[in-house]
Amino acid sequence: MERAESSSIKPPVTSLGVLGWLRANLFSSWINSLLTILTLILIYFFGRVLVIWSVREANWSAVTNNLGVLTWGRYPNTEVWRLGVSLILIVLMGVLTWVQWSRQENQRSRPVLLAGWLMMPFVLTILIRGITMPTFRTIINNIGYYIVHPDVLIALDQTWRANAALTLTGLLAGASWMIFQKRRSRILTNVGALVVLALMVPLSTLSQPWIFGLRTPMAIPMLLTFGLCLLIGRAVGRSFTNMVGRAHVLGAIWMISLPIVVIVLTTFEVGNEAVDPVEALMIVPPNIWSGILLTLSLSVVSIAASFPIGVLLALGRRSSLPVVKGFSILFIELVRGVPLISILFMAQVMLPLFLPLGVNIDRVLRAMAGMILFTAAYLAEIVRGGLQAVRNEQVEAARALGLNEFLVTSLVVLPQALRAVIPPIMGQFVSIFKDTSLVAIVGLLDVLAVGQSVIKAREYLGAVREIYLFAGLFYFVFSYAMSQASRRLEARLGVVESE
Amino acid sequence: MSESIIVCKEVHKWFGNFHALKGVGMEVKKGEVVVIFGPSGSGKSTFIRTINRLEEHQRGTIIVDGIELTHDIRNIAAIRSEIGMVFQQFNLFPHLTVMQNITLAPIWVHKWPKDKAEEIAMQLLERVGIPEQAHKYPGQLSGGQQQRVAIARALAMQPKIMLFDEPTSALDPEMIKEVLDVMAELAKSGMTMLVVTHEMGFARAVADRMFFFDQGQIVESGSPEDIFKKPKEERTKLFLSQILSH
Repeated sequence: MERAESSSIKPPVTSLGVLGWLRANLFSSWINSLLTILTLILIYFFGRVLVIWSVREANWSAVTNNLGVLTWGRYPNTEVWRLGVSLILIVLMGVLTWVQWSRQENQRSRPVLLAGWLMMPFVLTILIRGITMPTFRTIINNIGYYIVHPDVLIALDQTWRANAALTLTGLLAGASWMIFQKRRSRILTNVGALVVLALMVPLSTLSQPWIFGLRTPMAIPMLLTFGLCLLIGRAVGRSFTNMVGRAHVLGAIWMISLPIVVIVLTTFEVGNEAVDPVEALMIVPPNIWSGILLTLSLSVVSIAASFPIGVLLALGRRSSLPVVKGFSILFIELVRGVPLISILFMAQVMLPLFLPLGVNIDRVLRAMAGMILFTAAYLAEIVRGGLQAVRNEQVEAARALGLNEFLVTSLVVLPQALRAVIPPIMGQFVSIFKDTSLVAIVGLLDVLAVGQSVIKAREYLGAVREIYLFAGLFYFVFSYAMSQASRRLEARLGVVESE
Repeated sequence: MSESIIVCKEVHKWFGNFHALKGVGMEVKKGEVVVIFGPSGSGKSTFIRTINRLEEHQRGTIIVDGIELTHDIRNIAAIRSEIGMVFQQFNLFPHLTVMQNITLAPIWVHKWPKDKAEEIAMQLLERVGIPEQAHKYPGQLSGGQQQRVAIARALAMQPKIMLFDEPTSALDPEMIKEVLDVMAELAKSGMTMLVVTHEMGFARAVADRMFFFDQGQIVESGSPEDIFKKPKEERTKLFLSQILSH
């Protein structure tokens, strides 16, 4: 009764309309009005200058003609499609994740997406850096070369090897026929025999002199050998049907002989140490990555790799193990006590000291390593703050439920700690993204450095403003997107935190 | 006679120089409901927290279901898996839904498949009377509802013993009853329970035995009948008169 009455009173109108909004926000008092007008005048003058300049005077061809150079720098033009594919992949995964996020009820595709994201680093590395693929034959040839001494095998001709392999396989298959009872063992036996037979196919078409100098395809003597051995093997197998552990013994023989047979059969080119691996995707070493490609890969790699390291360092700093704790503190304080530029220099100069002689790490990778360590130290301190915000009662409740210390940390403490520090973490990410421009100092060509070299070209000599505006716009778009993402994430994960 | 499921002998505990437990001894039989009461700072919470090793006792022995509580992590894990605990401040995990709160430990500790864990969680939520809240977050529930979820969360591990550490002290008065009702039902089902509480009505109705703690010691114990009608110690009388008068 009462409720019905009170709900019949309408709430006061709160929407104001455009004029009302203006009055409430921009002209609420004379001082506010003055500030509004002053600001408008300032915006007008600066805006006018900027617009007039960019329309009448600016030579945007410095940017438009060099868009390719600014974006992918020295990446080979014929291979640029790989960057396009990478971009499409990233956007696709992003959209799928976003769709998944906005639908709450259906969580089925979650593991698939997670697996996809976990595979992304490998896929992108292969796409952007390229890959050489050894063929199956190369692998087998190499194994054969190192296991079976080539000097012995070189004397054996293909016919002999084929028949030897067939004899062995036939005997084993025949024996298995009688001995293996389990379905799984029988299937494995069949697969093994089929592999050997499949490897014979190229040989079987060769025509060889056989009985009385008769030339026939190899298939005929091969099949005869195999059939005969199958029967012999069966007879042998039958005589063992009462032996204890016969299946295990036979299984072991199979496991030893099958690889030998495969190697013996396929090492046709023993002695030629290796057939060159095929370059499936042309290798573009990170050394020559430049422009936006370099800036983005530096930031993405530093962000993705520093996050887990930072979390581990933060946990390490709170650990009760003195060595772990000491190392974490030492690392964090050392790195935080040194400017990024000197870390970048040290990564270039010092890193080779710690590596075995002859191992030469790409300069871009060295810069990445430096940035990862730098960011990890700062993240560790941020995450530590989050860890301190989780009340000890949460840990006690988790322990009382029987969770072990690892589960307590990973299921209860970390999720809460990380939620609490999303804004500073994202701030750190934005900051490292902008700091990638410092790699120019160690001679790498990020987007800003490429821009500077464009300005030095004779035809674009005056286009300083245009290039820097372009670079500024690039940094702004990405930084703004990151902080927007951070706010979304907060809104999404933070709603429930009210107790 | 059923045997004792909890045996504590001469349990001592110090916080720095403060002697919090001064030789507490207690035996609890299977299915018994024990109420522990006493003034604040008397060591009653500390005592039940030593039973599942949230606090470490420094002297004496604690044996739960035949397992002695030592520094051995395996013993601690084994004992914790037999004991459920309900806290004063509920301590639900705020980042997980009610359902996830309840199924977390069964899935990760008992390795139950998710479907089975959720099915049992729903049964427990029905038992504590709030199945409709399964997919809300703890922050969206009232204190009484949160405490009932906490009870369901502890029961999901299928413990043999339940510890309650002042389960109604943080609740608004109108929500105390709903939690006590759940606890009374649990006691009736034969659960072994150790309850630290000032709810003397609950103690009178449900407890098999009561222990009065003061200054880290058990001052007096007995059936609710004995404690309420003819307490032997002056301190017990004084304390009872104080909490029953208001």
